[in-house]
Amino acid sequence: MTQKQTKIKDLSNNKDQLHVIEPRELPKFPYPYDDWEDPPFPEVSEAKKATKDTSLDGVLNVPVPIPETEEEKEKLVAKFLEGLRKLLSVEDNWMFLKPLMLSLENCVKCNTCAEACPMYEMSGHAEIYKPLFRSDTLRRIINKYLKPGGKLTSKFTGSDIDLNWETIARLAQMSYRCTLCRRCAQTCPMGVDNGLLAREIRKVFSQELGIVASELHEDGTVKQLKVGSSTGISPTALMDIFEFMEEDITDRTGLNIKMPFDKSGADILLVHNAGEFLSWPENAEAFAIIFEAAGLSWTLSSDLVGYDSVNYGLFYEDVQLARVTLRHAEIAKKLGVKKVVMAECGHAHKAAMAIGDRVWVDEANIPRESSLVTLEQIVMNDMIKLDPERNQFPVTLHDPCNVTRSMGIIQPQRRVIKKICPQFREMTPHGVSNYCCGGGSGFAIMQSNNFPNWRNLISGRKKFDQILRAFTREEYENKVNKYVCAPCSNCKGQIRDLLTYYDAWERAQILYGGLVELIVNAMTDVPEGFIEWELH
Amino acid sequence: MSMFEYGEGKQVEVDEDGFIQDPSVWDEELAKALAKIEGVDEMTEEHWKVANYLRNYYLEYGIAPMIRKLCKETGFSLKKIYELYPSGPAKGGCKVAGLPKPTGCV
Repeated sequence: MTQKQTKIKDLSNNKDQLHVIEPRELPKFPYPYDDWEDPPFPEVSEAKKATKDTSLDGVLNVPVPIPETEEEKEKLVAKFLEGLRKLLSVEDNWMFLKPLMLSLENCVKCNTCAEACPMYEMSGHAEIYKPLFRSDTLRRIINKYLKPGGKLTSKFTGSDIDLNWETIARLAQMSYRCTLCRRCAQTCPMGVDNGLLAREIRKVFSQELGIVASELHEDGTVKQLKVGSSTGISPTALMDIFEFMEEDITDRTGLNIKMPFDKSGADILLVHNAGEFLSWPENAEAFAIIFEAAGLSWTLSSDLVGYDSVNYGLFYEDVQLARVTLRHAEIAKKLGVKKVVMAECGHAHKAAMAIGDRVWVDEANIPRESSLVTLEQIVMNDMIKLDPERNQFPVTLHDPCNVTRSMGIIQPQRRVIKKICPQFREMTPHGVSNYCCGGGSGFAIMQSNNFPNWRNLISGRKKFDQILRAFTREEYENKVNKYVCAPCSNCKGQIRDLLTYYDAWERAQILYGGLVELIVNAMTDVPEGFIEWELH
Repeated sequence: MSMFEYGEGKQVEVDEDGFIQDPSVWDEELAKALAKIEGVDEMTEEHWKVANYLRNYYLEYGIAPMIRKLCKETGFSLKKIYELYPSGPAKGGCKVAGLPKPTGCV
């Protein structure tokens, strides 16, 4: 790395790019990727560099504008400080104020978080990706500019910072170099949540300055509330898609299943991440096959937003977060279901089940359940017939951060997989200590500029390394088909991108998919071979 | 927003990834020019079959079709579609067919 020892004071310099990514200096992979070489890291085009700030590390995801005049810069700095003031006030920050304040106050700078962070480790220990580097930048700004006497004390405590637009522009970019996986928060002896701090920084930029990744906002929550889904699927398109899925189920299994929509009073409302319908329809099909075979009373919703469980507000701001989860709660209430089951989407679990708790109240206080738990009940109570011999291939399990670390759902998916996959093996580490796929906090859907390269090279590097180590040399040499089970749409998108970038299907016969596909693959009421061994 | 220039002095507005912004300005000439940036030198009948299916589906439903449906309706395997459009159906195929960039967890 050209500048491993970047200092916080460097953030205010107005010329250089602080960090240059040099692929050759990144940690090496194990066999069969020990000879892998990456091409040079691609630069953002000159035209884009002229209008978007890339002065942190030359990577472009969140579009931070470059103001033309000093006056404009000053205005933005003032606006940012105003946003921070609101962030710290109980009237304006009703969502996460308490954990935010504790995280700002409690840090003892022990840096235990640093080694827990896959970005820091796999970037070859680049200072700018260290959790504390980002959090302390925020802390210093708050302590100096928002606390009485701060300007004086910050000089004596060695925590001075120059607040100019450059500092703020780089802070915005730093908040989009963290996947909010919260592995650092778990390891912190003081309970400081650096992931939350990154998320709250994004919130100030979004709610106060209108600086936000378009994939999360315009093409995310705004589109979802208007059209029905961030994928752009309208209720009319939804019907066409499900008609196709019904045909597809018949083609693949011979079963005739009518997809249930808007059945009032059903026991279960099943909500998918709508991305599944377009990219992994076999996942939604597998859910239908299992639920029907188990004889469950269930329905899907065709209501606007009711067929897309995503809530990208979780990743960047409170207003949209509340709007989306409120809509989900209203739909569940209207249908009068006994419970809502979240299909294989990690952040939707957290948004509706944990954070959404404050919105799903009174009559809308409908129980929400992880599909991993529903599936565990079906499989462990022998509600469907299964033959594990059909899954006679190496399988490993990826733990989606929002399901495992954030919610503690660890064993249900393991009990299922151990029952139906004779060659199951864990990744190291796993469960609550898992590593993020590298696409968390919406990164997996950011496909523009050189950001996918960053995801493949840095944020997803630890996960790819872990995946490689889950299988044996013999399994690689014998070219055995291998399966990475990732029960989360966002993680699947990221793992697909990793496997594609590293050519891992051709080179190492590694494929990925969800949990329900493995279950249907083992069902004896279904012809063999539900899993199609083809990368898509 | 930037402009994409093609033909004799023609230009259309494209997003930062080169997807056209107004689907109604799409025509064959523009498709051929967009194909070149996606590594397709010549639009064969098979290329048009994919592009036309994508476009017609978009005009009817406002989104790109499921990849599985695209394969089924055109009779091409996913591998074949990647041969036709090396950058894939979502990026290359949709761009040439004049669709906006796919969004959401896809």
